[in-house]
Amino acid sequence: MNQEAILSEEFEISGGDFVNGGRASCLIKNILKEIGIDAEILRRVAIAAYEAEMNVVMYARRGIMKLVLTPKRIIIKVEDEGPGIHDIELAMQPGYSTATPEMREMGFGAGMGLPNIKKNSDKFNIESTVGKGTNLEIIINLNNKNV
Amino acid sequence: MSESIIYHSIKVNDQKCIGCVVCMKACPTKAIRIKERKARVNAERCIDCGECYRVCPYDAVTPLTTKTSDINLFKIKVALPSPVLYSQFGGEIMPDEILNALQEIGFDYVYDEALICEMASVAIEEYLERNKSPRPIISSTCPVVVRLIQRLFPSLVSLIIRMEPPREIAAKNLRKEISKEKQIPEDEIGIFHITPCPAKMVSINRPETMEKSNLDGAISIREIYNQIMQKLRKRERKFLLQTQSQISGIGIGWAISGGEIRGIKQDASVSVSGVYDTIKILNEVESGKIKNIEYLECLICPDGCIGGPLTVENRFLAKTHILKLIRKFGERNRIDINYVKQLYEKNFFSFERDIQPKPFSPLDMDKSEAIKKLRKKERILKNLPGINCGVCGAPDCESFAEDLVRGEQNLTIGKCVFLGE
Repeated sequence: MNQEAILSEEFEISGGDFVNGGRASCLIKNILKEIGIDAEILRRVAIAAYEAEMNVVMYARRGIMKLVLTPKRIIIKVEDEGPGIHDIELAMQPGYSTATPEMREMGFGAGMGLPNIKKNSDKFNIESTVGKGTNLEIIINLNNKNV
Repeated sequence: MSESIIYHSIKVNDQKCIGCVVCMKACPTKAIRIKERKARVNAERCIDCGECYRVCPYDAVTPLTTKTSDINLFKIKVALPSPVLYSQFGGEIMPDEILNALQEIGFDYVYDEALICEMASVAIEEYLERNKSPRPIISSTCPVVVRLIQRLFPSLVSLIIRMEPPREIAAKNLRKEISKEKQIPEDEIGIFHITPCPAKMVSINRPETMEKSNLDGAISIREIYNQIMQKLRKRERKFLLQTQSQISGIGIGWAISGGEIRGIKQDASVSVSGVYDTIKILNEVESGKIKNIEYLECLICPDGCIGGPLTVENRFLAKTHILKLIRKFGERNRIDINYVKQLYEKNFFSFERDIQPKPFSPLDMDKSEAIKKLRKKERILKNLPGINCGVCGAPDCESFAEDLVRGEQNLTIGKCVFLGE
């Protein structure tokens, strides 16, 4: 765990649970609101965390979302047990998706998930092992007002 | 932020308030506490939605709208009724009769806002076409929704449409025209909104997007209702209907939820009404869950402005009346679209100054302290019974725990009837 962390929280995500999908990112959003994180940063965290959570819901068996707050940045880590991603570079391309037609009908799987996470992060790391799972690390810097 | 400088449109009457928990429970932002048997409103948390006024069983919440007699402070008195007014007198009485009645009450000019609503619909479409900013764009019509976003969803402030609502646009236009026509200074003209909504007083007295509101006051429909009724009863109803061609069906539709988006051609627009549903959808927008929506109309009152706290008519009947008027006056455009586009070019609809987020104070200004307090709050909450009775004077156990960690004066855990001595 990050040494300089002033807050760290963990939330479980169940794969396939669309009813509760989005709950973890919503809890994270509410915590950050209570401690007064700047609005624009909050929005970026909220969107990135939601997309990451829904990726777990859509594709993986289960996962964990971790929130780590340091004086300088917000780190969201998502680790899932699932199919993994064959070609990360391809998955990062806007519009690329392996979502089933059913998921698309529900409004998911537009192929914007990962690109959207990246767009909202200051630093974004992704690692995946096919057949095992995917790990994401989303880093969003706090501005001076927040330090 | 000092409480005294935040202006609100509702006031608790201490003579009548007995300190029951009804308003405190109904408040969607948990702004009310009961202290020494009186309801106390936290000015920072209050968004002027009027829920407390609706539910108070003791008539102890007073909306601070303009008194009808105050119109006499101005040489020229102008009424600008919300289209909601047309729905308040049964389904048979036509807008013209109501406008005439207002004139008889003592207004020199009575102006139909619906036409400006229709103009605004065109302007919104123009805005959506020209601005490629992130979606959804959120309507600025409901002053409570605007305040709710500033307070509870500060990160969504950037999505609010940078356009004044019809009442302000109409008043701005009227003041110029009447001043020119009558050759009198603009400040001798008093323009009053006839309103179903106490929050209009806040947007008039403390406007967010301009130096000074174009309106001079807002008169409650409830207050002026009897006077209009008397005039309607007396009048002979034969030589009316002369200005009906000026009344816009599209504009009248703005009185009900969905009216604003009915006027625009965007398919991907959504209308939401009611305070809890509005909070819910804004939460989803904030998470990025709402996708492919161009325009979001949120109105804090159930079914839109016809459900406003200062209305008289049952809102379901009022809705039927409005739908009838929409059919009668038609849904085709009454206004010249090119003229509206020209006005748009000249920034006629634009905000004078930008709107800022105004989030609730965090648990502590220092992040580490805030986190400590968050932890402490969680610990306290675990020990509370969790039945949210409200006897401690806070609306629920979580608010009580929060008040404790925020260091609320004279508050101890002993206030909880289940844990106290």
